[in-house]
Amino acid sequence: MTLGLKITNVSKTWNPDGPEPVPAVRNLTLDVALGEFVVLLGPSGCGKSSLLYIVAGLEDATEGSVTFDGLDVTEPSPERSLIFQEAALYPWLTVRDNITFGLKIAGQTYKKQKDAAERLLRLVGLVGAGDKRPHELSGGMRQRAALARALAMKPKVLLMDEPFAALDIQTRARMQGHLLNIWESSKASVLLVTHSIEEALALADRVVVFTARPGQIKAEIPISAPRPRDMRSPEMIHLAIQCEALLAEEVEKSFKEQEQELA
Amino acid sequence: MTDETLDAPMVRDKQTSWFKRLLKRLEPTLWVFASLSIFVGFWEFAWWRGWANPLLLPPPHIFLANLTDQFRFFDPGGTRAGALATGGSIFSVLGVIAWSSFRVTAGLVLGFTLSLAIGIGIRYFKIFGKLMLPLVTMLAPISPVAWLPVAVFIFGIGNPPAIFLVFIAIFFIMTLATLSQIDNVPAHYIQLARIMGCNKRQIYRHVILPAILPELFVTLRMNLFAAWMVVLIAEAVGVGSGLGQVTMMARNTFNASLVFFTMTLIGITGFAFDQALRYVQRKVLWWVGPSSVGGL
Repeated sequence: MTLGLKITNVSKTWNPDGPEPVPAVRNLTLDVALGEFVVLLGPSGCGKSSLLYIVAGLEDATEGSVTFDGLDVTEPSPERSLIFQEAALYPWLTVRDNITFGLKIAGQTYKKQKDAAERLLRLVGLVGAGDKRPHELSGGMRQRAALARALAMKPKVLLMDEPFAALDIQTRARMQGHLLNIWESSKASVLLVTHSIEEALALADRVVVFTARPGQIKAEIPISAPRPRDMRSPEMIHLAIQCEALLAEEVEKSFKEQEQELA
Repeated sequence: MTDETLDAPMVRDKQTSWFKRLLKRLEPTLWVFASLSIFVGFWEFAWWRGWANPLLLPPPHIFLANLTDQFRFFDPGGTRAGALATGGSIFSVLGVIAWSSFRVTAGLVLGFTLSLAIGIGIRYFKIFGKLMLPLVTMLAPISPVAWLPVAVFIFGIGNPPAIFLVFIAIFFIMTLATLSQIDNVPAHYIQLARIMGCNKRQIYRHVILPAILPELFVTLRMNLFAAWMVVLIAEAVGVGSGLGQVTMMARNTFNASLVFFTMTLIGITGFAFDQALRYVQRKVLWWVGPSSVGGL
């Protein structure tokens, strides 16, 4: 039995029996070890998100297998929590009730829910916002509440689908620092999707560069530099240039493909 | 002395802001009156110029002049023939309004809950949905007026046919609205619930139901006026009491003043209903954005 996440020869085709099947991911193999922070970097529409949905158990792989701690992934579970680009908090619940939603479903006592909410609000820096409604929060605060909601279920892996893409640059940098702190204290694995090279380099133990659609792994770049990382250090600049070159090729390819599709 | 000169502008500032606040409070009401005045003004002007025959189109100052004379025709029981009706006070008028309001409310409550239940049932139980959906879609375009004889055949005369008609007027539309609302619940909401461990029943109970309620309530409010139109028809034909019956009686006795007086009452009551529903919406279903609650 292997602990952690194991993705073996996974392919995903959207609309496979339709007139125009769309291959999203092709023959992809990837492992995420316990407590590892892996970032999937690729041009938009390359199938990174599809892969996350498969790992979350929300979509079935067309081929291949996904196992988590040795068990086949067949359905969603709080163990593998997914965080979307928009926080997707329920507008009819307070921030606190959003955070404890999963605990309530799991049938935990009110006291336990309340304690967990306070602990998590403190952890993500939202003390005092518990009674607010989601629409009263800023984008960054909402995303932190979504993170707290996921953490409430003590996930073993956090799947994050461009979680900071909708935030402004300053907020984004703060949120990345925040995420690193939480990741270090929670010991969960993280599989994060982004198209930002800087974000990938700031966060990852390992950056996995995707090809254009259908998504395949183009390169894997381990980064051992300690965090927080100085993006202006020669090592980081060197890595950034490397990633940029890899991505540029793929972006070029996907542009060409789109032109052909239109022609 | 210096103190006073320093304080004076501040005090005045407070007063203006107090006055401004009052004005802001009253503004919606003032607009209602302005809106009404334009309409009434044209009508009175037409009468003054002799364009409108006071017997056929009596302006407000005529049909609102002799209220006790109008009140005579209102009888909550509604059994006496119009011209012979005697007595009647402001209470009998309120009684008549209350009866009509009760029928509308009962029909709305029944229609809203049942359409919600059937709509959710159609999406929740696949086979039930496949059996019900064609039926609902085929019955939806039939005008409530066409249901009137059916209502009388089934329920006879009295409250039930009127309530049934209000129910019919909103039920099919609200059922279809429920379906479209369920289909439009953001996919992320449901995916998240699945990740958090919700089963199908919990997804409907904790996510879909609260997600669709506010918009459905807006739909209900939009259909409120249809419900009012229908109840008047039912009362004129199949009940024998209520505002609809008074209007019909006024028509039969060629009492134009009474027609317009009753129409005024209907307008005011409908307006009050809309305000009440808005209030409920704001208090109970507060997570609707202000844009869909706004207006008056």
